[in-house]
Amino acid sequence: MAQKRMTFLQKLMSFSGIDPDRLRLRWVSSADASAFVDEISQFTEDLKKMGPNPLKAKEAA
Amino acid sequence: MEFKNILTTCPYCGCGCGLLLEVLDGKLVGTLPSKTSRANEGKLCIKGWTVHEFVTSSKRLTQPMVRKNGTLEEASWDEALSIAAGRLAEIKEKYGPDSIAMLSSAKCTNEENYLLQKFCRAAIGTNNIDHCARL
Amino acid sequence: MSTTVKVYVEQLLDEGKIKGFLGLREENGHIMPHLFCSPEDLVHMSLGDNTRPGDARYPLNQLLITLAAKYPDDTFAVLVRGCDERGLKELFKWEQLREEKVIPVGIGCPDELAKACECEKPFPDALIEGPQGQKADSENVAHVDGMDLDTRLEFWLGEFDRCIKCFGCRNVCPMCFCNECALQEESLVGTGKIPPDNPTFHLTRAVHMAGRCIDCGLCEEACPADIPLRTLYKKVADIVHEAFGYRTGYELDKKSPFNIIGGL
Repeated sequence: MAQKRMTFLQKLMSFSGIDPDRLRLRWVSSADASAFVDEISQFTEDLKKMGPNPLKAKEAA
Repeated sequence: MEFKNILTTCPYCGCGCGLLLEVLDGKLVGTLPSKTSRANEGKLCIKGWTVHEFVTSSKRLTQPMVRKNGTLEEASWDEALSIAAGRLAEIKEKYGPDSIAMLSSAKCTNEENYLLQKFCRAAIGTNNIDHCARL
Repeated sequence: MSTTVKVYVEQLLDEGKIKGFLGLREENGHIMPHLFCSPEDLVHMSLGDNTRPGDARYPLNQLLITLAAKYPDDTFAVLVRGCDERGLKELFKWEQLREEKVIPVGIGCPDELAKACECEKPFPDALIEGPQGQKADSENVAHVDGMDLDTRLEFWLGEFDRCIKCFGCRNVCPMCFCNECALQEESLVGTGKIPPDNPTFHLTRAVHMAGRCIDCGLCEEACPADIPLRTLYKKVADIVHEAFGYRTGYELDKKSPFNIIGGL
């Protein structure tokens, strides 16, 4: 169900002009701290490559 | 049981949007824009949409209020009118009629607005009269 | 066009099957909602066509909810087009109205209106009078889909920039009945500025329209800034159909995926 809502949100983001890859869903066990850290670090890296949030730029303008 | 939609004009600005007051058994329950009024063509601003709220608001005054020692207190009509008349006369005497200005409202009737501007111009003696529809 | 409807409603009233018929009334060139409680009153009946077909439509279901809340044991008839009937089916499932207390009086929409609305189904099942029109294609959604990502963002931010936060879209919506609206929640949408948080305000509304919007178009008609709300909500409906296999307002026994707490 959550996966479907994520798909829904990503498609809506895309239609609105926001890169859907800026939203990510991952399942990580609460017992697996290192996997959690890895996921967040990776996502942060990927986001940095995508560049700053385009909405922030518009707001500044 | 009676459910009617009464066509009227918005009491706020000078646009004069046509709106429908939803009345269920004599009580105002909502507002809708009139789709057939040429001025607004079925659209309203937030003030027009919430007209029914102020009419039935519990915050509406039911008694005149007079400021005593910095706080507003309920008073009788006689007391409130005496204070208002007295103070206006004092201010007019001390600072001149142009030191007084009056602001009327679209929520008043045409007759009340006429009365106020007459009072302002003839009784007080100033042209400083305006109306919320100009805002 | 209204003779068959009039005769049908007269019969309902004469037979005491309904307390009143919630329809439209014409008076001095203006059209407005009205509850007809006696057959004599029906002489003023209108179907909502002023200068063009369907240009004087109102959210009758919304008014019906108000009536039903005060008179829960009475049965009412209500004028419905294709979209209104979709609304009724959803409102029954959202428990805002009871099916056994509502008699739909259906009218079909002419081609001109169906095309303007890009309507999926411009006639109700409970059709009393009017055509069973054709499904119209949606060009507006396709137009935005055809833009690249950055153009799309610029497009939407530009459209939402004109918003004056009149809440017309939400107020006129026959499917909006929440006592506490998310759009008035300060932690979600900031207050004190026009236009409201761009695009938060409108995307929030769009998400809330998922599985709820019946595509009646009253929102876009009520928008003083001519924001293409329908295009956005139509896309939302398409996504919901793709992701959940759900079409709003077509089935009585299947709830919207957003109407179920806990999941499917």
